[in-house]
Amino acid sequence: MSRSFAIADTCFLIDWARYRGRDLLFKLYIVYVPESVLREVKSESTIAWIASKLASGDLALFTETESEVEEARSIMERSRRMPNTPAVDLPEAICIVAGRRRGYVVLTENRGALKFVELAEDYSGVIIHRSLEILLQLQLKRYLEPDCGDPALRFREYEEDTKHLFPRKDLLNAVATIRRELCGET
Amino acid sequence: MPLFDVSYAEKLKKWEELEREARELRRRFADWGFIESLPPRLREALKYYIETGDIRRAARLAGLELEDFRELLRRANVPVVV
Repeated sequence: MSRSFAIADTCFLIDWARYRGRDLLFKLYIVYVPESVLREVKSESTIAWIASKLASGDLALFTETESEVEEARSIMERSRRMPNTPAVDLPEAICIVAGRRRGYVVLTENRGALKFVELAEDYSGVIIHRSLEILLQLQLKRYLEPDCGDPALRFREYEEDTKHLFPRKDLLNAVATIRRELCGET
Repeated sequence: MPLFDVSYAEKLKKWEELEREARELRRRFADWGFIESLPPRLREALKYYIETGDIRRAARLAGLELEDFRELLRRANVPVVV
């Protein structure tokens, strides 16, 4: 099955680098890493993972153009005018620009980026996937075997490995989808 | 004429509720004994993160690289809620 192109920000990558099923990500996507993101990654284990995946072609380097950086700076300014919105910084903003211009799926855990795309009408077509959506997709496509005795298990494993928590309502919806689509519950 | 259309206002309200939930989870799970034992700069940066969820500014307050601050969040049992 052909994979989609995606583009990931820093926090997403450093969390996925700690997840036991981290390479499953590449069942769904070829993932671009902006140079501004790569500059923020420092630890040996994360760099080693990224280097090995760049070598295998599962990750690819995304070199921002001047025009993309200019648009990203405009996103940063606009996000600061939105009420109570966590700042969108350059690496996330570059990902949003690539999402709009090139149709890449944006992989982020940044609340500012999520909120910006939902509120800014001219970016409403940008698709953002958090880890929650990715773990759900991996199970729906059977790359990650669901546990029908404990349908929340795969999500909990990610939470344990990364010390990330999914919003409870979103998690309940994802678990309900697993029960309905994969475990034959109505 | 209203400043925002209804759907925009509803979206803002939804995000307000999400942020409230995230802040409560960060406060509840945080290892406050560990946080209070840290040097002032790290302690205040963690408190800033717990209140705002803004990891980059918190990392800068702490004087740490982003990845090192993410590790500090794990040690302090402060979850990233998204």
